[in-house]
Amino acid sequence: MNKFFGLFLRYNSWVILSLLTGISLFVTAIEKNDVPAKVTTAGSDLRAYLAERLGSLGYLLHIKEENQRLLQQNSRLLGRLLLAESALREQNALERLQHATPPAMQRFSVARVVDRTFSDRENMLLLDRGRRDGVRKDMTVLTPEGLVGRVTRVSAHYSSVMPLIHSDFKVSVVSSASGTTGLASWEGGREDLAYIEHVPISSSLAEGEEMLTTDFSTFAVPGVPVGRVISVKPGRLFSTVTIRPSVDFSRLGYVLLAPLSNEPEKLRMLGEPAPGEENQ
Amino acid sequence: MARNIFILLAVLVAVTFMQVLGFSRLTVLYTAPDALAVFLAFSAVTLGRNAGMGFGFLGGILTGLLSGAAGLHMLAGTLGGFAAGSFHIPRDSHATPSQKMRRIYAATAVAAFVSHTVLSIGENPLGLSPAYRIVVLGLLETLLTLLLAFAANLLILKKTFSD
Repeated sequence: MNKFFGLFLRYNSWVILSLLTGISLFVTAIEKNDVPAKVTTAGSDLRAYLAERLGSLGYLLHIKEENQRLLQQNSRLLGRLLLAESALREQNALERLQHATPPAMQRFSVARVVDRTFSDRENMLLLDRGRRDGVRKDMTVLTPEGLVGRVTRVSAHYSSVMPLIHSDFKVSVVSSASGTTGLASWEGGREDLAYIEHVPISSSLAEGEEMLTTDFSTFAVPGVPVGRVISVKPGRLFSTVTIRPSVDFSRLGYVLLAPLSNEPEKLRMLGEPAPGEENQ
Repeated sequence: MARNIFILLAVLVAVTFMQVLGFSRLTVLYTAPDALAVFLAFSAVTLGRNAGMGFGFLGGILTGLLSGAAGLHMLAGTLGGFAAGSFHIPRDSHATPSQKMRRIYAATAVAAFVSHTVLSIGENPLGLSPAYRIVVLGLLETLLTLLLAFAANLLILKKTFSD
């Protein structure tokens, strides 16, 4: 017995290391479960709250520039609104024929980016709107310029967004001119370059064409600009298409949240859980 | 002794919040200095390997709660504290203040690199290649953390060791 305790005292650092490593690995394994996920969400909430308070100080110092930028954004939004209203009138005429209300006509809500991290450890945006403001997982996040990302986590007052410049992010896109479809993704490195996968070499896609989100997407509202093609290099079967994202991620202050456009029945057919069928 | 532990725990909480809300934004090529590694090095060198591991584990829990991936941050903190403990100076040592500082710098570099390596293996949100992530960004983060330790030495630690 004395020998055992002697050994324990001699190698106690290794015993403690094994114990703490074991606990860490156990926590890693159960992190996706319901209760730990809720604790992490509460932690993100606290971080967002503190970041918002700290950000407010910087915001007050730059309020003049911010006002100028918002005025410009307003004028751009007004232009888009006028275009949208004319499209809406046409849509209404069609609707009267079809007796249906498309989800895309619901109102978008505005959210402020209270924290953003683009590093090799974390890559996310935190918004100051949460479940109580009607935000739901998988909502499309965009600006008047184009697609920003999708909502991945929602707490009562805040939500976390996976941006286009995340290696796990993928969205189905279509060219506005040639109608070529593909899958937009980001492979790391430069934040101002993304790629379109699965574009066959026979496609007529050319430089300068705008890529928009499609109806195929399981989360995104169709017709949102994703980026503009800057190069098309043919490979053996598929072309390597590089795009410049429509959104400048270094200057995000406010974003729009589009209501969920996916239909539960469509998602079930694709084998994905429909909104509300999983924990948020 | 118990009072000292409470003070160190309070410092740990403050350092973790400063890291998550402040230092993590001072990015150079996707890396940022690791204030927690500096604190781990200080505690492991002065109090020993077990203290380094314990503080690393607790710091990991806090960091994980604030930024996600708690288990991975706990593991990174524990291993960082364990590695930094190799530079422990016993209480009865006759080491000069400059020798102690050299040990703290060495422990900081090792803790920062080990923590970075564990986190890099566990998560890769930017889709960078493993070699670039672990070697290049690891060395850069170590360098930035050493600069932070140097600044901390000028402001706080020097006073502690000269007393």
